[in-house]
Amino acid sequence: MTPIVVPDEIDEGSVGNWYFDDGARIRTDDLICEVMVEKATNEIRATVAGILRIRAPTETVVHRGDTLAVIEPAL
Amino acid sequence: MNLETQRKLSIGRAMNEAIAQEMRADGSVFMMGEDIRSFGGVWGHTGGLVEEFGPDRVRDTPISEAAFIGAGAGAAMQGMRPIVELMFVDFIGVCLNAVYSLAGKMCYFSGGQVKVPMVINTAVGGGYGDAGQHSQVLWSLFAHLPGLKVVCPSNAYDAKGLMTAAIRDNNPVMYMFHKNLQGVPFLGLVKGSVNRVPEETYMIPIGKAAIVREGSDVTIVGVGATVYMGLDAAEELAKEGIEAEVVDIRTIQPLDRATLCASAGKTGRLVVVDDDYLSYGLTGEIIATVTDGCWGALKGPPQRVAYPDITVPYSPSMERFVLPNAAKVVEAARRAMTQKS
Repeated sequence: MTPIVVPDEIDEGSVGNWYFDDGARIRTDDLICEVMVEKATNEIRATVAGILRIRAPTETVVHRGDTLAVIEPAL
Repeated sequence: MNLETQRKLSIGRAMNEAIAQEMRADGSVFMMGEDIRSFGGVWGHTGGLVEEFGPDRVRDTPISEAAFIGAGAGAAMQGMRPIVELMFVDFIGVCLNAVYSLAGKMCYFSGGQVKVPMVINTAVGGGYGDAGQHSQVLWSLFAHLPGLKVVCPSNAYDAKGLMTAAIRDNNPVMYMFHKNLQGVPFLGLVKGSVNRVPEETYMIPIGKAAIVREGSDVTIVGVGATVYMGLDAAEELAKEGIEAEVVDIRTIQPLDRATLCASAGKTGRLVVVDDDYLSYGLTGEIIATVTDGCWGALKGPPQRVAYPDITVPYSPSMERFVLPNAAKVVEAARRAMTQKS
């Protein structure tokens, strides 16, 4: 299980669009969601391949280090 | 299910993918406009293009629409396939001559010998307090002028297919994308606009509407952001036992009159929703189409919900008051259900 967290450069942001459904298979480096800080968009990409489990749905307010999703190994 | 079908995109990212794929496939395709190169587009939809295709094919322009829209029309007449971005449709005033009198008419003037394969990419719509010079829709203006095709996608799948079709079309196409559907949080997120988009290239035919919800009692017609007002209204109406069919016209010009008449002919009742101005516009055109095409099937007078004939207010509360919304569509549908012809 690999957590995907809010990157260090973001103090606080809001989760924008998710580009895969919860439970979808994803590939390494796929764009999985966006975190918006004021009017800027930060792309969040998958660090490993697997099954996406969304932990912070669209419009959730998040802070540095918060878990956005976890990626489970695909069997 | 294969991996490609699971990926979703926003409308802006789908436009970007279509533009990149067409630029890879055809060296005559290039893009120019304000802030599209260095900034990546104010809606984030041109990010990465200059890195792949270079500054000759992805050009920032000065704030001089009359010059660069005119240059686009000229380049198209010379065999290029320009995608020229008018940042907000409200800025059309200074460059309308190049659009309707040069690009739109040259095919007619030349007896079909001069083609103008140009896409004018432009953001439309309000609802976020940007006032009267940055919040208009204006598609009826372009649809009224002969020689222009006019499209507006409501979701990413359509956005990619319509952009590909627009770039490959040999005539000028107004590609109007709605700001409220760009996935930018300060404009609100519309989840339905983010949907699955194949990685391979494909076209959505210009001039073909889509039935996005089937129903038997009343037809609700929208385009762009108003499609979602129709869908939300349909959910509300279903609680009252009214089954609404929702039509996304997708193309404003040429209008898919056959699909509109088939749907209104089936339900017998019509509500048209538009965030462009009420008078002399899309709502009147669609109602005229349906009364011409299936008068005998109509059970009551068609209804319309549109932007009143006033300049867009700056005050957010005043703007919200005058914009169409799902509640206004529900009320119009109830009127359609009760008024008799």
